[in-house]
Amino acid sequence: MTLPAFHVLQPRTLEDAISMLGQHGSDAMVIAGGTDVIPNLQMRLFAPRVLVDVKPLRELSKIEFSPREGLRIGATATLAHILETPWLREKFPVLASAIGTVAGPLQRNMGTIGGNLCLETRCRWYNQSHFWRQSLGGCLKKDGDVCHVAPGGKVCWATWSGDSAPALLTLDAELELAGASGKRRVALRDFYKNDGMDRIALARNELLTAVHVPARMAGRRGVYHKLRVRDSIDYPLAGVAVAMEVDAAGVCRDGRVALSAVNPAPVLIRPAGELLVGQKWSLELAERVAHAAIQTGKPLTTSGSTPVYRRDMVRVFTRRALEETWRNGHGST
Amino acid sequence: MNKELMRLHVNGEEREIAITPNRLLLDALREDLGLTGSKRGCDDSSCGCCAVLVDGTPMLSCVALAASYEGREITTIEGLGGPGELDPVQEGYAEMGGAQCGYCTPGFMIATKALLDRNPNPSLDEIREALSSNLCRCTGYMQIYESVKYAIEKLRAKSSAPVSAGR
Amino acid sequence: MGKNTNGFSIIGKPMAMSDARAKVTGLGKYADDLSVPGMLTGKILHSPHAHARIRSIDVSRAQALAGVKVIATGVDARNPYGILPIGHDERAFALGKALYIGDNVAAVAATTAEIAEQALDLIRVDYEQLPAWFDPEESMKAESNWINDERPQNIEKEYHHAFGDPDKGFERADFVAEERYYAGEVNHAAMEPHATLAIWEPDDRLTVHSSTQVPFYLHRTIASVCEMPMSQIRVIKPLIGGGFGGKSEIIPLEVAAAVLAKKSRRPVKITYTREEVFLAHRGRPITIVYLKVGISRAGKITAVQARVIQDGGAYCGYGPVTVLYSGALLGAIYDIANVRYDGFRVLTNKPACGAMRGHGTVNVRFAFESMLDQLSHRAGLDPLEVRRRNLLKAPCITANSLRVTSYGLPECIEKVFARSNWSEKKGKLPYGKGVGMACSHYVSGAANPIIRSNMPHTTVYIKIDRDAAVTVYTGASEIGQGSDTMHVQIAAETLGVRADRIKLVAADTELTPIDLGSYSSRVTFMAGNACLNAAKDMRDQILAAVAKKFGCAAEELEAKGGHISHRSDSSKSLSFDEAVAVALEFHGALVGRGTYAPPEMARGGKFKGAGVGPSPAYSYSAQVAEVTVDPETGQVRVDKIVAAHDCGRALNPLTVKGQIEGSVYMGFGQALQEDMIWKDGRLMNPSLLEYRIPATKENPEIESIIVESIDPEGPFGAKEAGEGSLAATIPAIANAIFDAVGVRINSIPITPDKILEALREKQKADAGNGANGAKRPSLAGNAR
Repeated sequence: MTLPAFHVLQPRTLEDAISMLGQHGSDAMVIAGGTDVIPNLQMRLFAPRVLVDVKPLRELSKIEFSPREGLRIGATATLAHILETPWLREKFPVLASAIGTVAGPLQRNMGTIGGNLCLETRCRWYNQSHFWRQSLGGCLKKDGDVCHVAPGGKVCWATWSGDSAPALLTLDAELELAGASGKRRVALRDFYKNDGMDRIALARNELLTAVHVPARMAGRRGVYHKLRVRDSIDYPLAGVAVAMEVDAAGVCRDGRVALSAVNPAPVLIRPAGELLVGQKWSLELAERVAHAAIQTGKPLTTSGSTPVYRRDMVRVFTRRALEETWRNGHGST
Repeated sequence: MNKELMRLHVNGEEREIAITPNRLLLDALREDLGLTGSKRGCDDSSCGCCAVLVDGTPMLSCVALAASYEGREITTIEGLGGPGELDPVQEGYAEMGGAQCGYCTPGFMIATKALLDRNPNPSLDEIREALSSNLCRCTGYMQIYESVKYAIEKLRAKSSAPVSAGR
Repeated sequence: MGKNTNGFSIIGKPMAMSDARAKVTGLGKYADDLSVPGMLTGKILHSPHAHARIRSIDVSRAQALAGVKVIATGVDARNPYGILPIGHDERAFALGKALYIGDNVAAVAATTAEIAEQALDLIRVDYEQLPAWFDPEESMKAESNWINDERPQNIEKEYHHAFGDPDKGFERADFVAEERYYAGEVNHAAMEPHATLAIWEPDDRLTVHSSTQVPFYLHRTIASVCEMPMSQIRVIKPLIGGGFGGKSEIIPLEVAAAVLAKKSRRPVKITYTREEVFLAHRGRPITIVYLKVGISRAGKITAVQARVIQDGGAYCGYGPVTVLYSGALLGAIYDIANVRYDGFRVLTNKPACGAMRGHGTVNVRFAFESMLDQLSHRAGLDPLEVRRRNLLKAPCITANSLRVTSYGLPECIEKVFARSNWSEKKGKLPYGKGVGMACSHYVSGAANPIIRSNMPHTTVYIKIDRDAAVTVYTGASEIGQGSDTMHVQIAAETLGVRADRIKLVAADTELTPIDLGSYSSRVTFMAGNACLNAAKDMRDQILAAVAKKFGCAAEELEAKGGHISHRSDSSKSLSFDEAVAVALEFHGALVGRGTYAPPEMARGGKFKGAGVGPSPAYSYSAQVAEVTVDPETGQVRVDKIVAAHDCGRALNPLTVKGQIEGSVYMGFGQALQEDMIWKDGRLMNPSLLEYRIPATKENPEIESIIVESIDPEGPFGAKEAGEGSLAATIPAIANAIFDAVGVRINSIPITPDKILEALREKQKADAGNGANGAKRPSLAGNAR
């Protein structure tokens, strides 16, 4: 498959990048690792005239932690770089656990945290070649007016299929966005719009520059469970992240559970925090949280396997992730 | 689209090519530089046949824009070792059956090379993990592991060999 | 490792492949690595509709695009072709109707790939959509809108066979099982996407470099499609990045490139995208097996009845052969006197299926070995013991007229029994863990050629001249399986020289004599025998000349260790180079010739369809799989597979093991995770991202064991090693899953959702009748 024609701009500074994005508006797309963007361009899912290559912006690739500011990961830090940061696995086990499941090692050497947080939503009616989609007559998301997942509907169910976002949701992460008028911070949970067609709240002239995790989240136990067919390469068919603070008596002081790959956005299980706080481990409680998870996760036929099975696994994985984190102390330091 | 002149540093040589901005590194290597050892097996960065080393790190050249890799040190399978000067990794894949049809082999060898450069004594699980971006349809992977082990032994023998006093 | 290897210098010893250096340096050339000056890039326009009449095609706008050199459509190449003489139903480009989403409608050759792709978008095709058929069991009921007017009810071919007295056999049975089995469609997924470079030569000849397993069939087909004499066409097979059957018939891009090259008088290269590989397909078809097997209380099989329906896609391809193999190879593995077989190859509006590793046998073997396991449990017998009680007594002729000359299955079974620790594990592992076993077999080449004739299946020449270089000319196609190395070994062993003295020229229709191709596991047996005959011919000529010089009989001499020496008089010895000079003086020219055609008595019975199944020899395999099933998620981990394979003699143990392990791997993929997912004739997963061939981490540990039965007719006793092991893997895993959690899944791939559903059903059933399952979850074992 060939690539469409485009120009590649290589900003030297963040300001350059922002001004390029502003200048080219909807004609521009950001590229960093390329693992998501390039195949999508080959499939003609979009046709930007300009790619702004932010990979060389060294200032965006740092990984830092301070007890006051917490964790800051620059947007172009590669997933491999994050995994290889020795203290990260100790301080934020759920994040390391999730990133370790992204595709395979070669993809992680290229793919960036920013890219993983801004992934295009996926659907088997959408992530197909130009020929394939043409033969179908397109879909709601691209070149058509019918949703093949939920015919008759006017909503796109293309699925959020990233692994790092649910982990970061359980850590109350915030994103740093840079635009013409400066930087702003947005809570990660407010970044995702739960709309397959319009997935993230990022303005055309804005760039995701970093992800922050508050210092109080350091040391939280946690784990990510990913449903997939192969133990590498695959996108998730479902994903569950759990992070919690457990005191010496085994009482949960605070906790979050988030899902991936079963909705157009990565989502926090809202009732989970309330259910968990102040409680000691019990299978019955874990099942209640798992039940809440399947109330939130709405898998449809956007990917492989069956929606029923994926929903089942959201339940099982939620319970298991809680069990591992809480009862077995996975990721405790 | 107009072509632009750029320099790629490949296998220790500076090469100048004229390419359009949408040229993939894989195509620049294969078509502009005649280095056809790197292969294309898929269209969605899922098979690893195109892997090359970029500053020593294995990456997929099929999702890399050539223009973005100016100034980086790129090593393809041709740069690992030519006839008569095979790298131990190449020797291993040749001797132990790691290459059947040979199409995925350059990508596997690149991933193996990067692994052994970082970790000269990997466990089987570490080998499996390091090679888990690469697909092989021939071997069932067992002889690939044997090939990696051969390379490990070879490298170990090399590094522990006494410095030649023959000069 | 091998038996009696003492007498051999090269045979039976592990040897790196002769082309390994070319591969590991990246210097070896595959079809897409080739380029020539002035080369155009070809792209194919595919049908967006599953079944549609083509009213008109307007190429004028595409033709006008700068850089477009030529466009071809159906009218440019009207001659139909197909791999079987009875199935010439394909054309370079659709004429009249397009039969599936992805069918070939036109092609463009342009100066760049980008321009060619743009041109495709400018071709206007006026289609009239027709009702389409996607489900084989529906399709075969069709009263109208047939896919091919000459194939009523969309049935490409049906066969009905009965051997012995099946009805009486079932009457005698103490246990009878009847089930429906389903196998999803799988693709070869060779890592190399197909590529063809067709070069129009200055003297109006055509040279075609193509990723093919069958250069000589391609040669014939291009001649017919391009309406050129075969003598004007040269087909060259470069390095091939895996075949597995996917390159064993003519693939549309091959004729498209030739037609474009002829029309443009330019070199044209076409390389498939991965999606196009899936659209060209020729993989293993969706197969529905209605199987009935009866066994006696003692575990003896009394009768077998199979009704097999294969979803062949829109074209014939190898279809009739596939469905015949499914029936024929119910025989030649166990002693079964009574067999009834009804096989249907059905057309649907999907890409054509074809031959894939284990051609025709794999899905039926899955059904059969699963059912034998099931019956063993009902009879209260160990399933491994049941296999022992149904062994053939070789040499023999089976009920369906297959001749079995060597039979290493008993040894295979005993080997895996011992290595897997079967008696300690079967039925004895904790809930969630289990072992399963199964057997399989395969032909060492088809005894009857696709195009019937009395000509040899393979011819090999060996040339030696004054440089004393030994050059072997063979038409056989190296596709990664070790064909080249096999020739080198046989020639070197026979001539008594080192392997590196042998130079190989292979698979070039202009330079090499014919070999039918790399399919049906025929190369080692057939090309190997031809090579052996050629090498013996050459050796005998050299010995005759040297004998004259020494004044002894040729029989008193031997070729060994790089010398021609007298067996008892050590003073009479010449180096090989000296002997060659003597022989050239004596004979003038030194050419060794060898051919191979299977013996008459190996060619099978006389009934309709008897031509498929007979082989000069059969390989055998037995396997034990050990699995862990997570009863809560249905996920299966295959911990280990022990696979023993009888390959007659392992000419090269290194490559034999590679073939066994590769077969097991591919069986593992089909058993658990590979599946082409169709939705109204549209392939939902045409990519290596979504069609999930196994990667390193989930792939099981495989222990391969070589068993050598030394076939009386194989070259040095060798039989096939490349395909036979695949079929046992799937039922071995399925049976292990039963052992682990007590459910049988009759549909592959065995995905976790199927296991969960079956476990739930079982729970309901067990609750209903008090339960008598094999193993049950113990409370302790399952407490979380």
